[in-house]
Amino acid sequence: MAEPLLEVRNLIRTYGGNRSLLGGARPVLHAVNDISFHVAAGETLGLVGESGSGKSTAGRVTLQLEPADGGSVRFAGQEITGLSPRQLKPVRRQMQMIFQDPYAALNPRMRVGSFVAEPLVVHGEDAHKDRIADLFRIVGLDPAFMTRYPHEFSGGQRQRICIARAIALKPSFIVADEPITALDVSIQAQIVNLFQDLQDQLGLAYLFIAHDLSMVRYLCQRVAVMLRGRIVETASVEQIFSNPQHPYTRSLLDAIPVPDPDRPRRKRLAFDVASNIPPREAVMAEIAPGHFVLQP
Amino acid sequence: MRQFFSELSRSKAGLAGFILLVLFVALAVLAPWLGLEDPTRGSLRARMTAPTWDGFWPGAHPLGTDEVGRDILSRIVHGSRTTLAVAGAAVVAGGIVGTFLGILAGYAGGLTDRILMRLVDIQLAIPLMMLALLVVAALGPSIQNVIMVLALTSWIRYARIIRGQVLSLREREFVQSARAIGASGWRIMLRHILPNVMTPALVVATLELARIIVMDAALSFLGLGVQPPNPSWGRMLADGRVYISTAWWSVTFPGLAIMLTVLGVNLFGDWLRDYFDPKTRSAR
Ligand SMILES: Nc1ncnc2c1ncn2[C@@H]1O[C@H](COP(=O)(O)OP(=O)(O)O)[C@@H](O)[C@H]1O
Ligand SMILES: [Mg+2]
Repeated sequence: MAEPLLEVRNLIRTYGGNRSLLGGARPVLHAVNDISFHVAAGETLGLVGESGSGKSTAGRVTLQLEPADGGSVRFAGQEITGLSPRQLKPVRRQMQMIFQDPYAALNPRMRVGSFVAEPLVVHGEDAHKDRIADLFRIVGLDPAFMTRYPHEFSGGQRQRICIARAIALKPSFIVADEPITALDVSIQAQIVNLFQDLQDQLGLAYLFIAHDLSMVRYLCQRVAVMLRGRIVETASVEQIFSNPQHPYTRSLLDAIPVPDPDRPRRKRLAFDVASNIPPREAVMAEIAPGHFVLQP
Repeated sequence: MRQFFSELSRSKAGLAGFILLVLFVALAVLAPWLGLEDPTRGSLRARMTAPTWDGFWPGAHPLGTDEVGRDILSRIVHGSRTTLAVAGAAVVAGGIVGTFLGILAGYAGGLTDRILMRLVDIQLAIPLMMLALLVVAALGPSIQNVIMVLALTSWIRYARIIRGQVLSLREREFVQSARAIGASGWRIMLRHILPNVMTPALVVATLELARIIVMDAALSFLGLGVQPPNPSWGRMLADGRVYISTAWWSVTFPGLAIMLTVLGVNLFGDWLRDYFDPKTRSAR
């Protein structure tokens, strides 16, 4: 089997712990605790878990926006943990991130045209107006907006601007960190469609982060479910929806809103995260081809 | 801009401060064309003349004369030029250095941050006036040295506040996004951080302007500022204080000039801070 585009193994990221001045180490938080996953070229992997489970941290460390405290990240056959900023620069062309909060993701003091053009400028590519205009059109924005400042745009438009910036260098992999969570429900479907169109046109691979499973079914081929810094179940979308194994996965499935009001909603499984922290010694076991579950 | 003025006109204190500030700058800029007497030449016959409105405008001394017969109004107006030049240059120099180092400390973090912040702590522990006196005494009282000393006492105020802003800015997604595209640290500091700390820097600058005007006056009061015969407000206070019982006008008017200018800057600075503060803004 050919090596996947992205291969993450035993990734660890901790916060706190370094001694403060007045003695006494702060407790260590394992935000990402020994997780492994892979993403093939052109594929979408959903990373799902409740807020605070470490999804964003996993995304940032995967992209080397902050250092890993352990484990390995291989991208296009190259180990990228521990690279210097200069060594990382060519890798950065290939991978991008889209953030949850489109209001914080744009520089309020920069014209959106310059913002979209910046990756091209940074990598010494032609950043001519026509090329930026093309990027605006691709994401469904009027190129005349180029000279405006972020505060003039709605959340959905801002997210399109971020997407235009992310695809400017024609990357092969994008981490989309809850890109629709902050948007109006009416806008969410448009943005999801844009993600899909871009994937078809550009052959992008996504790590699509979400806090519930509702959009994942439409967008992802495989899903990894995260709980308290660990991945508790990985499988194809069909397997997750038809044969969920981990109780946490089941509770996420039950939480999906039912579109048909006549159909009675399944009784929601109560899942108490606090009393279900995965034990340290738990290991993943393959219960079916490609379907892994964390065994207590 | 229009919004700025409509907001300003709604605040009595802010507007008053703004008008005082404009008046001060206008007087300083227009001083040579106001038809005032030569501020450096006195006539011994007119020594210690009390304020008088008799006679025609150019000949009279509406604010009186000093101990060598120089027109006090003219000296105050011309003194505002010195004050504006010295305080303005010091605010700009301190602002540029302080903002830059504040951004560097906040963004680079680590050792750079620790060194810069220890420097700030050390300097905060030394009384500013003592520091200024030391430096001017060592280097001699020239205009450049006074500006340098005032800027030196000023950069730490910018550096501390800007650093705090940068600490929160650098966690913002657009800064992370800049890192994700491979932008260099310099680019991020100049293109993403700097434009977003200009507002707080400007607010610090107005507050610093007031403080620096007072300090400049104090330095010249002690004879370490601009050298005679060039007029400066602090110097006029120093020279006039000997005659306070016989010629009240020789200290009162320079003192008033300092007070009104500082008051104006402070009123305007306070308003400016509220104007730029999103919390008070949305409350309005
Ligand atoms: N920069 C940081 N410093 C300290 N703790 C952090 C930091 N970023 C995230 N955390 C903590 O790590 C945990 C995981 O956070 P995050 O990755 O944002 O979760 P999610 O994206 O799934 O909501 C949370 O407990 C959060 O408080
Ligand atoms: Mg998150």
